[in-house]
Amino acid sequence: MRQFIIRRTCYSLITLLILSLTIFTVVRLTGDPATLMAEPGARAEDLARVRSQWGLDRPWPVQYAQFVQNILAGNLGISFNYRMPVSELYFERLPNSLQLALAATTLSFLIGIPAGLLSAVRVDGAWDQVGKVIALLGLSVPGFWLGLVLILIFSVWLEWLPTGGKNDWHNIVMPALALGWYFAASLLRLTRSSMLEVMRSEYIKLARLKGLPGYVVIAKHGFKNALVPVLTLAGVNLVVMVNAAVVIEVVFAWPGIGRLLYEGIFQRDFPLVQGVVVLAGIMIVLVNLVIDILYAFIDPRIRLTR
Amino acid sequence: MGAEGRRLRNSIALTRREMLAAGVAMMAQLPAGGAATAGATTGSMTLAWHTAMAPRWLDPQDHDGTATPDNFLTALHDALIKNFGTELYDHRSLAERYEFDKDGKSATFWLRDGIQFHNGDPVTPEDVKFSYESYRGALASTFKAKTEAVDIVDRRTIRFRFKEPFLDFLLLLGSGNVTGAGWVVPAKYYQQVGPDGFKRKPIGAGPYKLAAIEPGVKIQFEAFENYYRPVQIKNFTMVAVPEAATRLAMLERGEADIIYGLPGELVDRVKNNPKLMLAPVLSGSFWLELVGFQDPKSPFHDKRVRQAISLAINRAAINDAESAGLGRVSGNWINDDVQFGLPWPELEFNLEKARALMREAGHPNGFTVDWLTPLAPFYSRGERVVAQLQAIGIRAKLQVMERGVFLQRIQAGIRQWPGVQIIMHGARIGGTWANWYESFFKCGGFNAVDRVCLPELDAKLDRYKSSIDPAPRKELAEEVQRAIMDNCYLVPVFRHAFMNAIGPRIAAHKWQDVFPTITTGYAYPWEDIKLKE
Repeated sequence: MRQFIIRRTCYSLITLLILSLTIFTVVRLTGDPATLMAEPGARAEDLARVRSQWGLDRPWPVQYAQFVQNILAGNLGISFNYRMPVSELYFERLPNSLQLALAATTLSFLIGIPAGLLSAVRVDGAWDQVGKVIALLGLSVPGFWLGLVLILIFSVWLEWLPTGGKNDWHNIVMPALALGWYFAASLLRLTRSSMLEVMRSEYIKLARLKGLPGYVVIAKHGFKNALVPVLTLAGVNLVVMVNAAVVIEVVFAWPGIGRLLYEGIFQRDFPLVQGVVVLAGIMIVLVNLVIDILYAFIDPRIRLTR
Repeated sequence: MGAEGRRLRNSIALTRREMLAAGVAMMAQLPAGGAATAGATTGSMTLAWHTAMAPRWLDPQDHDGTATPDNFLTALHDALIKNFGTELYDHRSLAERYEFDKDGKSATFWLRDGIQFHNGDPVTPEDVKFSYESYRGALASTFKAKTEAVDIVDRRTIRFRFKEPFLDFLLLLGSGNVTGAGWVVPAKYYQQVGPDGFKRKPIGAGPYKLAAIEPGVKIQFEAFENYYRPVQIKNFTMVAVPEAATRLAMLERGEADIIYGLPGELVDRVKNNPKLMLAPVLSGSFWLELVGFQDPKSPFHDKRVRQAISLAINRAAINDAESAGLGRVSGNWINDDVQFGLPWPELEFNLEKARALMREAGHPNGFTVDWLTPLAPFYSRGERVVAQLQAIGIRAKLQVMERGVFLQRIQAGIRQWPGVQIIMHGARIGGTWANWYESFFKCGGFNAVDRVCLPELDAKLDRYKSSIDPAPRKELAEEVQRAIMDNCYLVPVFRHAFMNAIGPRIAAHKWQDVFPTITTGYAYPWEDIKLKE
């Protein structure tokens, strides 16, 4: 088990190293941020001053080594645009993103799991068809479109909910619905397929042969076992929602990390983009590592796999 | 004096006690620090801003030379002189008067009495001197190169002395959308907290003081009770809402009172809503640069081809499609609201004439342009020009570039634009015509680099800059602009309208009540904007 944990941790570190190298290179391929930071009439020496001030005049390997060294010291750099530490900006927005992600996850659970369950139990029936339509719409309707339609209906026409921003609980309803809708569809599909697989298994047949009532078979033996992959997906979804709800946060002017990332990309704010991506990567890698270790605890066969 | 006279005198004369009481009552009406007598400052107003809000825009010392910081500086800070309404640059703000020497070698400013920063400290010549000398933003090097010394004459007077005649000093100092050198920050506080600390908690001398800030998201202001002019609305919030449809929905619901940056497709929704008011502020100019026109091998070398291109552009159609017809199709490539910007009549759209010129120039079947590249994100404008040029046989492909890449290639010179290429530029530059010329036309200019090099016109600019006589300066400025227009060195397309909208709570009979100034696309002056009773 110890070896397994060490091996997985090493894989995670390699993943993070590759991620940091990729994001470092990709942001630099977009061009020189000095042209966006200096005034339009800036002369060559002004641009050189800006590059020198932010260390952009040094060779890429030197910049990368500095970047990694800073990360290890817990320093993600200073945002070009905000002139503030990236970590400060990130953690200022994190509670907002967590709030939105938790609300969206709750909604996606409330929609996705019962609908998936119903689809699986009534396979090929009317409920299953409804479930398929919900899944199809959830996965194909773009978030920005859904967001704008929600604003039009609930804010402009019905005047029930505020349009955007973050003041009280009213503000979270629409962004959570727009964000949770997509993830509800994926949960629905996974719940359905997982339930179908479980319901075809031998122990379910045995449970039925023992004369257990249908609802007990579904709830106690079927659903409980089908829920494992669903919860795994929900965990990863939650991390993605926290860090990458870019479109929804922009549409609803929600002050979260996704919007911070969008602003960073738009302004070619290298430290900000690098910092947000690396922190998101760390979160995803950590969640996956924990899940892997938990699986290994539950199923000893996993420990033996390479 | 008879009895009647004495009675009259007694009836209007006040006793000493009454005089004192009246005096106290009058004093009570006056806010401290020489501030103006304001009406009741109440209510709240929200502006939905169209991008993220960068804290650096709150620090005039780091002015980036664009119009963007204007929106924030005009609320939080104040300058010696500034653009205001139809006054281009010389509205007296913190300075109650100024004198500019005839030889252009010094400028003296007298500060208003009793003016204060938001922390209660008085605005002094020391603050002005510090703000000017430590300024490091756009055009800082120009100010530094030309300034001999800044002298504090007395507790309200400050004098700038120059090494050589600096005729554009006032114009640059007062053009808030060109440089931040004229904005005054509190020296002691700035030095105490440093530039980064100042950006997080700025203190100014403007009509609104900072109440709270969420970087990039929201800035809340409160009326500054000791401002020297009345401030009409007590609480003022600027909130960043990047999505245009959301901004409009906020305005419709009354969550925002003023919104900026409305795209053409949403304009009708404002026009059709009687509660809302559209504010199409005439803004930047768009024009075509025919790359390499000085090269005899380029098809653009022939003036008739350049004229044909100009004649083939249906500017009215582009204005209708891109700015709902609210931009302006006539005019110079340089905005005529800058000093010595030359007004120019509407350019003709005549396909027959254009085709005839192409035939005369030896291109009866037109020719191929490798790429037409518009400034990001105005791709649809480029697409329209591509389509219109087909009518005279010019076959161009549209090249779409991200803004940063576009600027980088522009600033790298002609080697980045090989073959036959057209660039569609767009800009709004304040101050003077020379700022436009130096940036986009002068050989070695920041955006022109080596793509355009006409030494005879550059020489005229040099003469203009060294002259201290306004009449020949104006003449030279117009000569240069006329030469560019007559020879179609650049082909103006149109001036677009920066679309804003005003909500029903704001007291405005016409949109110009909220957007009165010709120098910025933003609502201003903030202290004058009122709510309906």
